[in-house]
Amino acid sequence: MSNMENELKQLIIDCLDLEDLSIEDINSEEALFNEGLGLDSIDALELGLAIRKKYDVRIDQDKDDVVNIFASVASLAQFIESEQMRKV
Amino acid sequence: MQHNFILGKWNVWPSLTSDATSQAELLSSIPKMLKRRLSPLARIVFCAAIPCLEEHSKIPAVFSSTHGELAKSFKMMEVIEAGEEISPTAFSLSVHNAIAGLFSMAYENKIQSTVIAPGEEGIAAAFIEAMGLLDEGEKQVLIVLYDEPLVDFYPDKPYQLTVNESCAVALTVSKKGAGIPMCFSYQNNTGDDGEQPVQLPLLVDFLASQQDSLLLHTPRHSWCWEKQQV
Repeated sequence: MSNMENELKQLIIDCLDLEDLSIEDINSEEALFNEGLGLDSIDALELGLAIRKKYDVRIDQDKDDVVNIFASVASLAQFIESEQMRKV
Repeated sequence: MQHNFILGKWNVWPSLTSDATSQAELLSSIPKMLKRRLSPLARIVFCAAIPCLEEHSKIPAVFSSTHGELAKSFKMMEVIEAGEEISPTAFSLSVHNAIAGLFSMAYENKIQSTVIAPGEEGIAAAFIEAMGLLDEGEKQVLIVLYDEPLVDFYPDKPYQLTVNESCAVALTVSKKGAGIPMCFSYQNNTGDDGEQPVQLPLLVDFLASQQDSLLLHTPRHSWCWEKQQV
C-alpha cells in the first residue's frame, strides 16, 4: 500500500469527522461514496478542499473526471501523484 | 386574537431531572454518518424533541431560534478574515434551517417544517405559526424552541437576547386529544421580557409548575399562555 494512500485515509478520517474509524478500516479499493464508506456530496467538497490545502492539487469539476477520481482512495492517490509528477 | 389548543407532550433539554435518559442513549438510533454532523446545539434540539415523537410518526414541525448556529457563522467569518477557505461542511451546517434538515433526515420526517428567527416576538412567533398550521387542518404540530449563548463578540446590552445556558424546549400542540387545554392570546399591554433565549427558562417554569399563566411583554404588545381549568 502506498504512503499516499495511508496519508489520504488519515486525511479522510480527520477532515470528515470519522474519528471512530482507523486507516485499517478503509479499503483503498472500496467505493468512498454511497454504498462503500458512505460519504456524501458535502464530504466530496470538504475532501476536495483538504486535498487542495495539503497537496496543492486542484480537482476541477469542469476538466477532470471527478466521478472516477473520487471513486476510491486508490484512484485519488493515483490522481494526486500524477498531478504532482506533472508539476515537477 | 385568542387560540385554544391542547398541549400534548413537552420536554426540555438539559433535562430537569437527574434520572433522564442520557444524551448518548437518546441519539443511539441515529446513523453514525449523520450523527457526526450534529453540533452541540443540534444534539440538545434532538434530545428535547425525541421524547415528543410518536414512533414512526410524521409530524409538521416549527423550529424557532433567535441565534441559530451563529457561533458557527462567526467562526467562518474569522476564517474568511484570515484569508483562508471556509469548510463546505461548516457552511452547510451554519444555515438557520440546518438543524431542522438534519432532524428531518434522521427521522425521515419528510413533511413540512418551518424555521423561524423570531426577534422581539420571542417564543410567540412559533406558536402563531403552529396555530396557523392547526387551523389549516394539521392534527398535531411539533414546536421546537432552542438557543445557545451568544458569542461574546456581539453586544448583549441594552438588549435581552442571551442567557448563559443553552436550552431546547419541544412540545406538541393539537386541537383535540389528550393533554392540557390551553389558551394562547394577544394582549395590548407593552413591556420588555426579552427575546426567546431569555423567555425559554420562563416557559419551562410555567410548563413544569402549577403556575396558571405566562405573560410575555414585547415593546409593542404582549402574549399570554393560560392553562384552562378542566
